[in-house]
Amino acid sequence: MAMVGDSMVNRVLLLRTWRFAWLRVLIVGLVTFAWGWLLLFFYSQFSDAIRQLVSSNPIFEQFANFGSGNLFTVPGAITLGTQHPFLIALIGIFAVGSAALAIAGERQAGTLEVLLARPIPRRGYLLTQAVAILVIAGLLVALLLAGMVLGVQTQGVADQLDFGQLPLMCANGFLLWAAFTTFSLAMSASFDRSGPALSLSLAYLLLNYFLIILGSFWTDAQWIQSYSLFDHFQPQEILAGKADPYDFALLTLLTLVPLAYALWIFPRRDLAAPA
Amino acid sequence: MDLPAAAAAPPRATEQATVISTERLTKHYGAVEALSELSLEVRSGEIFGFLGPNGSGKSTMIRTLLGYLHPSGGRASVLGLDVVHDSVEIRSRTGYLPGGISLYGSLSGSDALAYLADLQGQPAVLRNELCERLNLGARDLRRRVRDYSRGMRQKLGVIQALQHDPELAILDEPTEGLDPLVQHAFYAILDDLRAAGRTIFFSSHVLPEVERVCDRVAIIRAGRLMALQTMDELLARRKRRITLRWRGVAPDLSFIAGLEDLDVRGDRATATLLGEVGPFVRAVASPSLEDLTIEPASLEEAFLEYYADGDGR
Repeated sequence: MAMVGDSMVNRVLLLRTWRFAWLRVLIVGLVTFAWGWLLLFFYSQFSDAIRQLVSSNPIFEQFANFGSGNLFTVPGAITLGTQHPFLIALIGIFAVGSAALAIAGERQAGTLEVLLARPIPRRGYLLTQAVAILVIAGLLVALLLAGMVLGVQTQGVADQLDFGQLPLMCANGFLLWAAFTTFSLAMSASFDRSGPALSLSLAYLLLNYFLIILGSFWTDAQWIQSYSLFDHFQPQEILAGKADPYDFALLTLLTLVPLAYALWIFPRRDLAAPA
Repeated sequence: MDLPAAAAAPPRATEQATVISTERLTKHYGAVEALSELSLEVRSGEIFGFLGPNGSGKSTMIRTLLGYLHPSGGRASVLGLDVVHDSVEIRSRTGYLPGGISLYGSLSGSDALAYLADLQGQPAVLRNELCERLNLGARDLRRRVRDYSRGMRQKLGVIQALQHDPELAILDEPTEGLDPLVQHAFYAILDDLRAAGRTIFFSSHVLPEVERVCDRVAIIRAGRLMALQTMDELLARRKRRITLRWRGVAPDLSFIAGLEDLDVRGDRATATLLGEVGPFVRAVASPSLEDLTIEPASLEEAFLEYYADGDGR
């Protein structure tokens, strides 16, 4: 067991959690990687055609931008790829779904009962689940970028990308999903049934997504984007060498606060017999 | 069962040491009082029956001992360790079978047992023998848990609780779903564990099995302790049903102490007897007494007496 503060990450539990999820991680990881490559393929194949379409009729400009991304530049395509609902759904399977079910789902199924009959501190259980899911989320973000890098190389547009900024972009993307993961874990630690935990976690994700998308389609409401977590992950700006430390600080804070709450509430909760 | 003696392996509890101790243990859920000032002691090397109907507080007590629930008042210790501050250490030295156990359906039986033993951090020294005695063969263990019948899941639950040879086993309704043959095998396992000095805390509402295996019994009702006695003590003061038959008309029996519900019809009399059998037999002995039947006192009678009034919670 590895010590983390006064709690522990349980190696057996960690490995088993990954073993339970490996097939899903493999499938989602491959699709995420392919998605990263596909975005750059679309960019290289269709950006000129879309640019001509937009210049012929400005009404299309609204639809050529999605969130903070577009298909006119490599950084724009990368940004579009990271904010597209398809990718949100892919990474959300783990960052929201698995995290929201990590405790509440096991409680509802009755299996947490058997696990906590072993000498595992509740904080240790929670930290192990957090580490397991955060590693998966980080892996998926890395696979997305790996797919994009492959796309840039195979489509011959490598000169348009500053590779030196990729680690920073990867870290920012990871922090974004870490914030959703720990919020979902906090919900999971707060409820005995998976329904409320999953609903609230999903609502948090969708609300943040709604704010960023609404702001991008409705210019008068652009100011509300700053209230979305997605607004604090701007690949275009990072790739342009203009990463904002405030984004990193805020996402780190929004990762740590729900985790601290979960670590506080879970050991204090009464775990009555499952219904 | 080939087990080392409990006393031979410190820091295991020594013979007759107190393994579980509660002092005025209380648990509220809002306004509902699930446990009320419950005080009891379970000694090392005994099988302790914890009796009560559904909703009487049995599971609340067990969950408080294992740290799933936090006491609202009073104190409790298990193996000399405080249930609030030392629950991880307590769980490292106990085995627990939850009522209506749920296991990962996607795992095979053997994988589930191996996983839980790994989490326990102790070798599963009794697994093979328990599987054999509970008739859970290698073929069964290769099947996924989701395909198990309720009885097979329960067997797996019993094995996961006992496979690491814990000092104390806390078993919540352990024979639920087990067929009679396996139940008897299970009782024999408990006897062996007791002989090796292990302690069993056994919650049940199946009275005959408690009567069969337990040394001492606590009866709780609505979270309150109604009785805490050895099985012999409990049964000794129970009412027994008696039937007598004479040659000719039955004599007057109303003078005999402890006789209740007397019903005399011709040469026969039936009644219930409270207390010692000896004085009664001496009182009724006569050459004309043709037949005397005294039914054995049962735990059921004792149990029902404690639940005779009120709503039975």
